Amino acid sequence: MKHFRSMTIPYIVWALAFIVAPFVLIIIYAFTDGGLSLTDASFSLDSFHDMIDPLYATVFARSFETGLITTAVCFLLGYPMAYFITKFDEKVQSILILLTTIPMWINLLLRTYAWIGILSDNGILNAVLKSLGIQPISVMYTGVAVNIGLVCNFLPFMILPIHTSLSKMDPSLLEAAYDLGANKVQAFVKVVFKYSIPGVLNGVILTFLMAISAFVIPKLLGGGQYTLLGNLIENQFISVGNWNFGSAISFILAIVILFTISFLKRVDPDDET
Amino acid sequence: MKKFHTSKLLYGIYIGILFVFFYLPIAVTMFFSFNSSKSLTHFSGFSLRWYVNLITDREIVDAVWVSISIAILATLISTILGTLTSIGISKCRKVIRELFMNINNIPMMNPDIVTAIGFMILFSSLRIPKGYYTMLLAHITFCTPYVITSVWPKVKNLDPNLADAAMDLGATPFQALYKVLLPMLKEGIFAGALLAFTMSFDDFVISYFVTGNGVSNISIIVYNMTKRTNPTINALSTIVILVIFVTMFIVRFIPYIVRKNKKGRNHILHEEIN
Amino acid sequence: MKKLTSILLVVVLTLSLSAGLTGCGNKSKDKPVLKIFNAGEYIDKSLLTEFEKAYGCEIIYETFDSNESMYTKIRSGETYDILVPSDYMIERLIKEDYLAEIDWDQITNKNLLNPDIMGQSYDPDNTYTVPYYYGTVGILYNKKVVDKEDLSDGWELLRNEKYKDDVYMIDSERDSFMIALKALGYSMNTTKEKQINRAYRWLVKQRDTMNPVYVTDDVIDNMISGNKSIAVVYSGDAAMIINENKDMAFFEPEQGTNFWTDCMVITKTCENTELAHEFINFICDADNAYINTQYIGYSSAVQPAYELMRDDDYKGIDAYVPRTEYKKDEVFTYQSNKIRKQYSKLWTKIKAY
Repeated sequence: MKHFRSMTIPYIVWALAFIVAPFVLIIIYAFTDGGLSLTDASFSLDSFHDMIDPLYATVFARSFETGLITTAVCFLLGYPMAYFITKFDEKVQSILILLTTIPMWINLLLRTYAWIGILSDNGILNAVLKSLGIQPISVMYTGVAVNIGLVCNFLPFMILPIHTSLSKMDPSLLEAAYDLGANKVQAFVKVVFKYSIPGVLNGVILTFLMAISAFVIPKLLGGGQYTLLGNLIENQFISVGNWNFGSAISFILAIVILFTISFLKRVDPDDET
Repeated sequence: MKKFHTSKLLYGIYIGILFVFFYLPIAVTMFFSFNSSKSLTHFSGFSLRWYVNLITDREIVDAVWVSISIAILATLISTILGTLTSIGISKCRKVIRELFMNINNIPMMNPDIVTAIGFMILFSSLRIPKGYYTMLLAHITFCTPYVITSVWPKVKNLDPNLADAAMDLGATPFQALYKVLLPMLKEGIFAGALLAFTMSFDDFVISYFVTGNGVSNISIIVYNMTKRTNPTINALSTIVILVIFVTMFIVRFIPYIVRKNKKGRNHILHEEIN
Repeated sequence: MKKLTSILLVVVLTLSLSAGLTGCGNKSKDKPVLKIFNAGEYIDKSLLTEFEKAYGCEIIYETFDSNESMYTKIRSGETYDILVPSDYMIERLIKEDYLAEIDWDQITNKNLLNPDIMGQSYDPDNTYTVPYYYGTVGILYNKKVVDKEDLSDGWELLRNEKYKDDVYMIDSERDSFMIALKALGYSMNTTKEKQINRAYRWLVKQRDTMNPVYVTDDVIDNMISGNKSIAVVYSGDAAMIINENKDMAFFEPEQGTNFWTDCMVITKTCENTELAHEFINFICDADNAYINTQYIGYSSAVQPAYELMRDDDYKGIDAYVPRTEYKKDEVFTYQSNKIRKQYSKLWTKIKAY
């Protein structure tokens, strides 16, 4: 029915104005050198030349490293969690999933602020350690604090998609595998894990993408010297005022992420997302 | 059989430990919101002073209103926009659909900081004064793709001839839409709306870059306040957490209650007939 | 059930629409609006409410993290009526024609202002500025941890490996470079590339060996709790910290430091200049300045308030009485775009290390 086709027009206009246009503007700023205004801008690859400095490569590398560590930890902790949840009956499962979802609803800033209170040098963690007679540890403003904050934040994003895939699996398949002579490990790898792959990919992509571009958690838990890509971009836009350089970094970051996602998507046959 | 039970216990313990990890900061925050002193480590006595502080602080109250109202408005508009668009796009040619879906995915796949500065550059270049409305526009923009992602799979599974059939039977296109298509997409629409609300209420980065004129939401206020220890934030967190808990449980268990009532009514009706 | 949901929806929609419309501040068509842009934690908010009540207006109050972010926001098109920038930023704003002249006839409290703080190098006749607070930058240290002899190193104390992992630096480009330049014996306003690069390497070596943490306002609570033994702080913050933690002491290195002043200025885009002047005058009132100073803890440019704090609340705390006539102390001056870009680049590299 051709009637409904015109319903797409409002959003197409909206998308052009608010999705395409900003992206195009970022690209324009990345490839010019006019500073904040576009009026006296001329084509220039200065921003990209500046980026080649090895110290910026360090920032890229550190962001990727953080992303990988966070994703790995989330996977190692989250996969068992998702799997164990499926072992309970439906009603219990839905409550457990609900409990896993609720932290995601609580504002990110509020959750991060809570972690500051715990991890601070004079925070709860050290207060507890002191009362147990253990040396207090200084974890605030270090990479450890940032990773803890990131993992705690992104773990639900890893658990939920894996659980969704696993719950689609028919448990009788496992029994069939046992009947056919497989031991526990074989059955797990060949049946359960295989089924969970779409969910795993989903969770891994999501977590990695968010971790490498994280900005708030590194800033609050890592201090001014913990610079990831997100912090670098924010710094260029808010403090330094070098919108060209900031746009260039954003452009590279966006391209890298888009490529990573489309590459991983090709491996995943499921078209749902 | 015995083995099964002990392994379930182990599973439960593991899950429990992870839940502690999730909820520890939340519990600690809530606990110290009732502290009579400023300390975030020593509990010196029960007090509601931080809650009083919270209610009397005009800045925080305004920010709460902004967070809530923008989340509600953005959810409503993006849900309507997203649903209608999902239905409409199903009637378009495949090429257009592919292109559209790719554009739609950009805000979701782009890191939020890139989306945020994109908006900031857009508003600055066009000299649009930043404030409440720019925040709303930005929120609608990043919420709608999530709605489309939830509704579109359901639209795909619908019988393409449903609307035609309805119209053949005399319904106007609007009636076909409202009375036939939408009810069938209820689940997807609801899921999409819920997702949109979460994304909007939780947002910080995008709001931070597109706001102006003194307009702040909860995230921005907390961000500005983290530099000094301030248990008023704990009080705010506690209220937000409680509201979320209550809402989630209501949302989850309303269907059960409704069904129970229906069953009860049917039972009485059944008895009356007999 | 359906009816209930639709009624609920309508109620929710109306509530949020009304909240939204009132939230965007357009309700006060008859109430004049004053937009103020100030540094974070730099005013007692009760004064804002009092002013609003007394003058029947509405104040839109925003804060910035640093002078640089304030400048970027203004450049990106945001307009404000009153700003509270620091010396070198004021110099820049004057040069780039952002500021309106102060009509001193409207500032009836002008005789309360400290004449030593008036007439700074960037605005010798106070054409554009009304002083707000002043101070220096120095080192705050824990008397119980830091050896007295090490203090004679001045700024090099911050690179003394004895105190590795125990130092807070200010997350500010100009302040950090100031420390390095002063430690090397150069002017903190230097434009000589060699000197700037040497300062850059000083800071990189510090980062490498000392692992400092770069913070802003969070230094205050952290040092009150004694989380680290050494911090670079503004004199006013030092006074506040020492007031709460008697283990702490403050000193200004003999290599010289930065003497800074923050002033209230009125922008060219301000329409309601009369109200702006009323506000500035209100802040300069002796009682209001005292209330303000009790909250902020810095040295006020309003004499009576300053003296009251010095002799009463902060008695004995010499951090409250910053060094004002030391030869080696300098005031930050305006940097040309080229120099500014160079400093920015190097600072970004230091932080990204």
